Amino acid sequence: MDLKAKVAGLQDFYLISLYSITRAFRRPYYTKEMIEQMDYAGAGSFVIVLLVSLFIGMALSLQLSAELSALGLKMYTGRVVGLSIIKEIGPVAIALSFTGRVGAGIASELGSMQLGHQIDILRVHGVDPIKKLVVPRVISALVMLPVLTLIGDAISLFGGYYIAVFVSHQSGAFYWSQIREIMDFETMTTGTVKPFIFGYLISCISCYTGLSTRGGAIGLRRSTTTAVVSSIIIIIVTDFVLTRVLLYAFGMSV
Amino acid sequence: MIEFQDVKLAYGNNVVLNGLNFRASFHEKVAILGGSGMGKTTILKLLLGLAVPDSGRVMIDGRDISEMTSEELRKARMKFSIVFQEGALFDSLNVKENIAFALREYTDYSEEEIDRRVRELAGRLGIEHALLLMPEELSGGMQRRVAIARSLAAGDPRMMLYDEPTTGLDPLTAANICNLINELSEGEPPQRMGLIAVTHKVTDAVKIAERFVYLRDNIVFDGNIRDLINTSNAELKDFIAELFIKESYHFGR
Repeated sequence: MDLKAKVAGLQDFYLISLYSITRAFRRPYYTKEMIEQMDYAGAGSFVIVLLVSLFIGMALSLQLSAELSALGLKMYTGRVVGLSIIKEIGPVAIALSFTGRVGAGIASELGSMQLGHQIDILRVHGVDPIKKLVVPRVISALVMLPVLTLIGDAISLFGGYYIAVFVSHQSGAFYWSQIREIMDFETMTTGTVKPFIFGYLISCISCYTGLSTRGGAIGLRRSTTTAVVSSIIIIIVTDFVLTRVLLYAFGMSV
Repeated sequence: MIEFQDVKLAYGNNVVLNGLNFRASFHEKVAILGGSGMGKTTILKLLLGLAVPDSGRVMIDGRDISEMTSEELRKARMKFSIVFQEGALFDSLNVKENIAFALREYTDYSEEEIDRRVRELAGRLGIEHALLLMPEELSGGMQRRVAIARSLAAGDPRMMLYDEPTTGLDPLTAANICNLINELSEGEPPQRMGLIAVTHKVTDAVKIAERFVYLRDNIVFDGNIRDLINTSNAELKDFIAELFIKESYHFGR
């Protein structure tokens, strides 16, 4: 691919990202499509979020209990598990799961529609594919990824609680008091800002790669892989940048 | 009148159209012939503004479509209806919803009115028994019929565009689709609805078209059925001969 095509592709991505927000406020509103997408992205992802979060919470609690007990600080397991889950691991792990399920789904669905000329049919009939296909997917990701992250965080904390109390024999009341203590404005903001941005990035990347699919089954494989791999890299890089920015914004020194 | 003026288009290093010049009236019945990757479908996409030429102009009724506003382009597109290869039906909608798609998007018709119009079109195209089926449950021929019904529901087009209308169909179904295409474009010019069909099946092309264009980077042949049969172009002769032989095998001759 030459430089000109790459620049054009980047421009298309920026435009899709921009229009997915600006056109959301213009008629017609595709409410039915939006609800369908929320059901697919949100309710449909619940089981995977439940499993991923539960086992991450339990594994983290198990590991930290062992390490902290060597230092004589086992009672602080809840605090470290809570901070790790709410600020970092929860948003990133759920976003990665969301990419694997929803991002790949969006890219392959839109890619298949592109190859099957269904996108062309929409345009011929005067329907804006961005409004009908991209806006509902971006909005649903913006709403559902934060919701899933909140649910996932809660499940992880319960998983951590189970290990801390029933395996590591710590005080349950003290575990929850530690969690309550860390739930200040700064922690909650960090934990809820990230999923919004991750949801936006995943949906925009997936919609763009889907709509730019060319070249049959191989092209579909390529665009789905690109959507997932790009999203994973972008999520992890953005997480680092956001962490730095938020620490700075809250005036915390490193 | 539609017109292509010195249209050039390349996908990367692959030159698809190299200075295409072509004119046709809305009531003409044109078949654009050519092998795979020769830019046949691209011509239809250019005509509808779904693809943009690298250079040259695509004109509809004397206006360059690249200079039209989105509303003007929408109105220009309303002059055509397109049926893509294999139908391009929306997988998530059943047959009835597919046909009603444009009516729901464009009009303020009540559900009763939409239902009446869909049933009327379905009856005309012989698909009334399949209204509640999903696209995956339809045969290839039925998918084309539903696609034609959907394209007609969008309005009252002056010209139909068919992208490989009979590819992948058995000879009997292909003949039925050809008959249907002829029924839709019956009558005398200039009142009748014209068509442009891009295809590599010459035997089907001669059933539905009166003018034949052979494409290879550019137009290398443009004429009627008599000119086509008597062509001196060696490549076109081979193209026609090979396809006739293939078709003969289909019928066991």
